[in-house]
This record gives sequence, structure tokens and C-alpha cells, in this order.
Amino acid sequence: MGEYLSTRLDGVFNALCDPTRRAILARLTATDARVTDIAAEFPISLNSISKHIRMLERAGLVRRSIAGRDHVLSLNAAPLSEAAQWIEHYRRFWEDRLASLEKYVTSRKRKTR
Amino acid sequence: MNAVIAQAAVVVRRTIAASAEDLFDAFLDPEALATWMRPGTIRSTIAKVEPRVGGRYEITMQGESGPLPHTGTYRVIDRPRRLVFTWHSVATGQKETLVTVDFVTAGAKTEVVVTHEMLPEAARPAHANGWNSGLQHLEEAFSKE
Repeated sequence: MGEYLSTRLDGVFNALCDPTRRAILARLTATDARVTDIAAEFPISLNSISKHIRMLERAGLVRRSIAGRDHVLSLNAAPLSEAAQWIEHYRRFWEDRLASLEKYVTSRKRKTR
Repeated sequence: MNAVIAQAAVVVRRTIAASAEDLFDAFLDPEALATWMRPGTIRSTIAKVEPRVGGRYEITMQGESGPLPHTGTYRVIDRPRRLVFTWHSVATGQKETLVTVDFVTAGAKTEVVVTHEMLPEAARPAHANGWNSGLQHLEEAFSKE
């Protein structure tokens, strides 16, 4: 994994660490939505919704298209799968290592007995 | 902050029929590491360890396409309960990540719990002697439920 990917993963994990941003993503899995729709659905100010959306955009999780006066948001799930890959890589790595640790420790115990 | 950890962490558990001490020591002993820190495609592993808080380790796995060094610094060494170290390798994008290993005694067995996470922003040392305050931030992060 290169530096670029790792920096992008940081952005993804930071974006995911907030419940409002996770809720916005969950909302966008249903359908695309205008910024004003999202703002109306969440009990916080338009200003703070905009900040959350900008973070999601920076993480590459949300795309914005502008049609006249409407800013339409859509979900881009690709960076999520990169994050999932990182997690999957290390999950498998540590599962295998712990199996190997078990073999090492239990075989050594038999020898010293 | 807890959500960061929950989102970005890998948690792997395994209950092993051995004492917490034996398992803990296998994490800090170079000979032991050379044996069990050897994933399938790795021909051999060489481990160098400075087993003290602030000490460094270097685990070099000899892969088919060349050496794969893994390096880091010990942050907590609490035998036989908990071991915390940073983890840095090609696979982490040359960024520091954090590994916490908890050893939980259950009768004659021990549950080993490995938590591997990307370092939350607050836990990254800002400068050379910053790891102490980094750790403090980390503790604060954990206590904010």
C-alpha cells in the first residue's frame, strides 16, 4: 500500500468517526440527495451539515454535482472498500500469527516437560 | 473518539492453552518471534528487540521478493497483562499504526486479544519526545466513552 492510499485511508477513517457523517452516508446509500434535503433531515444547522459534507467529500466518500441552484450529493463507496481491505489484511495476518503463536508455545511446552 | 477506534481497528482473539507469562514472553523474545512471526510466504524472520518502554524492535521477514522490515516502539510493557507497540511497515503505507495485545487468563488457558488500529490523530507524537503526551491523549480517548 503506497503513501497515497494510506493518506486516503486516514481521511476515510476520520470521516467515519462521527455519527452525523455516518448517518449522512447511510442516508445517501438510499438515494442521492440535495444538500438542502440532508440539512432538513438532520437536527443541526446548515452550516455544520455543510462542514460534515465537506469532510465526506475530502475523504472521497461523497460526490457533489451542481445542477442550477441544486447541489446534489451521491455516495462513492470505493474508498470504503479500501478501508475494508486494510482491515481484512490485518485481520487475516493476526489470525494466522496467533495460530502460529499457539503452535510455537504449545510445542515448546511439550518439549520442556 | 471511541468511534475512530471502533471503525479503524482490527480485533482478533484466540484462546490458547498456555500461561499468560509464556505467551507474553513469546512477543518479546527474538528467537520466539523468529519462529511464529513467519507468515506463509516468508522464508525466515529475524527479530531484534529492545524490550523496554521506548525501546525499538525490528522484525524483518524475508519474503520471496526481498526483505519486509516491520519496526516500532514499545509503549506499554505490563507483563503478563498488556503489551502496546507501534507498527510500521510497507503494508501500513510507512505510517505508524498501533498494536495492543491483551492477555486475559481464563483458568489454565489465556485469551490473547490483538487490537491493531491506525493511530488516531491525537495519539500521534507531535515531536521526538512526544510519545508520552501521545499516550496520555490515547488514554483520554479511551476514557471518553
